[in-house]
Amino acid sequence: MNDKDLRTQTTSGSQKSAARVGIGGPVGSGKTALIECLIPDLVSRGIEVAVVTNDLVTKEDAKRLQNSGLISPDRVLPVEAGACPHTIIREDPSLNIAAADNLNASFPELDVIFIESGGDNLASTFSLDLVDYWMFVIDTGAGDDIPRKKGPGIIRSDLLVVNKIDIGPYVGANVDLIKQEAVEVRNHRPTLLTDCKRKIGIDALVDQLIQDVLFTDV
Amino acid sequence: MQILSSILGYAADEPFDSALHDLSHSGKVEYLTISADDTSRRRMRAMTDKGTECVIVLNRDQQLSDGAVLSISDNGAIVVRLSQQKWLSLEAQNHAAALEVGYFIGNLHWKVEFEGERLKVALQGPLQTYLDRLELLIETGKIRALTEND
Ligand SMILES: Nc1nc2c(ncn2[C@@H]2O[C@H](COP(=O)(O)OP(=O)(O)O)[C@@H](O)[C@H]2O)c(=O)[nH]1
Ligand SMILES: [Mg+2]
Repeated sequence: MNDKDLRTQTTSGSQKSAARVGIGGPVGSGKTALIECLIPDLVSRGIEVAVVTNDLVTKEDAKRLQNSGLISPDRVLPVEAGACPHTIIREDPSLNIAAADNLNASFPELDVIFIESGGDNLASTFSLDLVDYWMFVIDTGAGDDIPRKKGPGIIRSDLLVVNKIDIGPYVGANVDLIKQEAVEVRNHRPTLLTDCKRKIGIDALVDQLIQDVLFTDV
Repeated sequence: MQILSSILGYAADEPFDSALHDLSHSGKVEYLTISADDTSRRRMRAMTDKGTECVIVLNRDQQLSDGAVLSISDNGAIVVRLSQQKWLSLEAQNHAAALEVGYFIGNLHWKVEFEGERLKVALQGPLQTYLDRLELLIETGKIRALTEND
């Protein structure tokens, strides 16, 4: 066998394409806050970041990130979802794909593009045509029976993030119980706890992303 | 750690067919088993049947499928093998029940195939999760769930 013959069969196209990571979850669970925590941590590890935001009819989240001083404003692209935020991450993700392609073309050095969903109920999932990996963010403020409701976002996401662990005690939500039940319904796939106010759990979240999808360590 | 960044070709095509045949005599062909669900993924970690750890990072225009050759040289080859998709088959008691279960499953965005009188749901997680969601329809006799052997 001749190695060279085989190699000439390869399709070329070695241009680097950034990992695409979806962030879904109900409105207010802390998706944008999480991105604001992730960016400095990723940047400190030499990882290049961009973000696509999906707002219902405004560009609120995009503007918030662009004005945050955490990321160059042109690395944040808004996509307006119109009426149905889940449609553009699942049934017809073409607008989001175009936005991510755009960022990739403008910034070939990118390692990761986050795509924040406009927020939805527990049934929302991401199309793998759009992302390589997706996390679902819930918060303890919504009560500790959320994992038991077994929404597709909770069961099928690659990573479940239980955010706002700081407020659990104030709303009578048992954080340990949420974690334990989440791990069970997810068949032991990763579940992480975070507190965006005190930046707890962010390092572990970045480690998980590197391990599962960024591969910047290999 | 093997980094696999493109689909070089398919096992059934030349020159791969012959090359893999030769390599297989010396036990140098390794298989990566991937679920039907994961064929849409372009980035993942996986381990071959011989224990080689791999990182897959495909370009966005490439998609994994059965027989995809991800690495090949005189030292060995890595080939994708699809694990079989598991299904849950459903039969409706009557037309009204069929409409109801169709509406219900459509709302949940489950992946389905139609097979004559049966609706087949592709299992993308534990079977019990699906049965739990269908509990009410099953309990009231509106639908019947059939296992793979039925
Ligand atoms: N106490 C507390 N508040 C948080 C945390 N994460 C986010 N928030 C607050 O929750 C609200 C909604 O957050 P946001 O990121 O806009 O949610 P999104 O709609 O999911 O993007 C904001 O007021 C945040 O400051 C957290 O970990 N703890
Ligand atoms: Mg937001």
